[in-house]
Amino acid sequence: MNRTVFLKRILEIIPGGLSWGIIITLVLLSILHPVASAIVIITFDFYWIIRTVYLTTLLILAHHRLAEEKNRDWIRSCLELPADKDFKRMYQLIIFPVYSEGLEVLRPSLTSLSASNYLKENFIVVMAFEERNPASRKIAAILEKEFGSRFGAYLSTFHPDGLLQESRTKGANATWAAKAAKGYIDSKNIAYDHVIVSCFDADTCVDREYFGCLSYHFLTSDKPHQASYQPMPVYNNNIWQAPSFARLIEISSSFCQLIESMRLEKFVTFSSHSMSFKTLVEIDYWPTNMISDDSVIYWKGYLHYNGDYRVIPLYITVSMDVAYSSNILKTMVVQYKQKRRWAWGVENFPFVVEGFIKNKNIPVFKKIRRSFHLLESHVTWAVWAVILAVIGYLPVFFGGAFFNQTAIAYNLPKIAGLLFKSTILTSLIWIFLSWTILPKRPKGVSWLKNIVLVLEWFFVPFIILIIGSFPAIDAQTRLMFARYMEFNPTLKGNRVV
Amino acid sequence: MPNFQRIRSLLFYLSLFLFITGLPFIIAFSLGYKFNARTFKFSKTGLIYVKTQPEGARIYLNGKLMPENTPASIYELVSGVYKIVLELPGHYPWKGEVDVEAGRALRLDKIILFPLRPDLQQLNREKFSTFRIDAEKRMIYYLDQEGKVVYRSDLDGINFVDCASLPDKFAQITGWGISADKKKMFIFSLHQIGVVFFDAEADHDYSDAAILLDYPKEKIIDVFWHSDNYHLIVLTNKHVGVIESRPRAVPVNLVSLNNEEAYAFYDAKEDALYFSDGQKGPGGVFYNNLYKLRLNTDLYLLGIIRKKANE
Repeated sequence: MNRTVFLKRILEIIPGGLSWGIIITLVLLSILHPVASAIVIITFDFYWIIRTVYLTTLLILAHHRLAEEKNRDWIRSCLELPADKDFKRMYQLIIFPVYSEGLEVLRPSLTSLSASNYLKENFIVVMAFEERNPASRKIAAILEKEFGSRFGAYLSTFHPDGLLQESRTKGANATWAAKAAKGYIDSKNIAYDHVIVSCFDADTCVDREYFGCLSYHFLTSDKPHQASYQPMPVYNNNIWQAPSFARLIEISSSFCQLIESMRLEKFVTFSSHSMSFKTLVEIDYWPTNMISDDSVIYWKGYLHYNGDYRVIPLYITVSMDVAYSSNILKTMVVQYKQKRRWAWGVENFPFVVEGFIKNKNIPVFKKIRRSFHLLESHVTWAVWAVILAVIGYLPVFFGGAFFNQTAIAYNLPKIAGLLFKSTILTSLIWIFLSWTILPKRPKGVSWLKNIVLVLEWFFVPFIILIIGSFPAIDAQTRLMFARYMEFNPTLKGNRVV
Repeated sequence: MPNFQRIRSLLFYLSLFLFITGLPFIIAFSLGYKFNARTFKFSKTGLIYVKTQPEGARIYLNGKLMPENTPASIYELVSGVYKIVLELPGHYPWKGEVDVEAGRALRLDKIILFPLRPDLQQLNREKFSTFRIDAEKRMIYYLDQEGKVVYRSDLDGINFVDCASLPDKFAQITGWGISADKKKMFIFSLHQIGVVFFDAEADHDYSDAAILLDYPKEKIIDVFWHSDNYHLIVLTNKHVGVIESRPRAVPVNLVSLNNEEAYAFYDAKEDALYFSDGQKGPGGVFYNNLYKLRLNTDLYLLGIIRKKANE
């Protein structure tokens, strides 16, 4: 094993090793020294109460910003910009990597795109199909016929299977499509720095103001090529039809993204996002062998620009499908796999640290801070629910008669109760905010669903256990043992799969 | 537009401040420490948790009324002996002395405050000699003083009715038992078993005449209902046997006994009879053995019994 491979393996083991180390240590401590374990748990409980209140406050602030900018006329804002920042010269390259999604998913995405109030003649739309999907050509032909004339340019690409140094990932497909688009852009002599590229999940429906908002931020930001632009993902496409379980998880995901948008120093691209095409070409496109291409592209930019690269939040929504299936069990499996894929973002850690080691221009403090943030977020994801829901009760369980007569054994459940009460309070805020981001109830959906939407929040403790920590532990353990995940796209669609 | 990042920074540092300053107090409190604001020192204390049944009792600690009623926790108690009085109107007070240790929680959570006027209620409406409780069906059966009538009521003494009359010519009743289907009962004396059917409609028109089964040469010790509600398992001073609950039924002796004072228990769920019997050892000394006799209908045994009885 050479030094590089050895280092990579060490870095792959660190997150899972830490998570398992924390869990095993706390379990052993509960058995061997319940008082010490109780002190650690109470510390964690207290930390979690403060963290929950803090993050909920950030959510309120982010939601306020989202509400504030919701009805803004971004095109008008663009028109008011000085002449040297003329948005009309900006081209929008939009790539939809398609795996096996059918017309029922792709049509709404393209329809929303064609409903945009941006200059459609400046749109270069690329439907990036996988060659290995036998239905690709047929679907491509249908969509080309329906939507081909609505945009400045419309391309269908077919990513060949089994290319060298490629895995079956979305990033490989998107990169193939971006290279094809580059050919078109070159042929039209369009300057790369006048092109903003958006890579959208196949089910992404954009707000009509999205490209106005994106262009405005691009044109007004300092160093626009050294930034990615992150809209707020919501899962409104089929939210009224989705079962409570799946809906809750996706609303929580949207809220997490809103919270992250307030923590700019930690903010990383996620799912559908946009960036400068010039930068994309310079950093050699999305990774073709990593699953978490959406976040790795940010880190590639960060390393390329020696740490002077950021994500600018766009307080405008892009709507996607809630992933669910025909029954609760299958939905749980679908959601679990999706969250495990997201948790596979832990592969960023070895990638980033290796990059930091090679890059001598990024300040050491910045390297340590970003590495710590990355590691801490994944380790916390893997252990928090286990600590709160399982380990928190172990000292009392294993403590025996002597421990259970101590003051700390008596107070431990009280502190946990306080945590629970604070969670209820924050849940009420989350319930209210979730109402405000819901689309209008479609015809045919009973008004009783409104009541279900409130009551379903009582499932949160149960859901936390299922998708709180386990997918992250699963992903980290796989990485620890070099059992690399294959890209497993979430089955989506407005119809139940 | 407000500067959100500045607000966020403020919130972050506020949260950090709360965590750093609050944590020592939370941990100290959890471990039972009390912070003295005057001396700026922590001292270790204990606590008492009091829970009563019913709740809401006033708590007097060393004669001082506590602000909370039960259930309540009394924190920050220095080590020592404390007198506790718990008072709830209409109930006997609870008084006790407890020893509080620093860093420990004393749980007084099994205290029952009994009412001053006990909740006492007479259930029988007629004079009776003995009774049986059927907890499953929530019924009480009473045998009247003369051994002539069986009464029945629910567990609160309501719906008190006579449900069967016992045979006139029956000697001193030594035992009785209700069948699992609640349709009949047996009574027995030293040499006779009577099976009496309950009046289903409670109209005093008893459905079937009593069945009398005689054991002239043996002394009946105990009788049990088989789970089929038809056979009776009879323990006499000489045998363990079974007999059908029909007129002129012939007993079938399954086991001969050495000991005339055998004791038996019948497990109706498993249809198994546990009984003791004596055995003479090599030195001529008698000792007891415990036997288990399976009588479940899955076995062919009952078939044999029926066959033998019909013969």
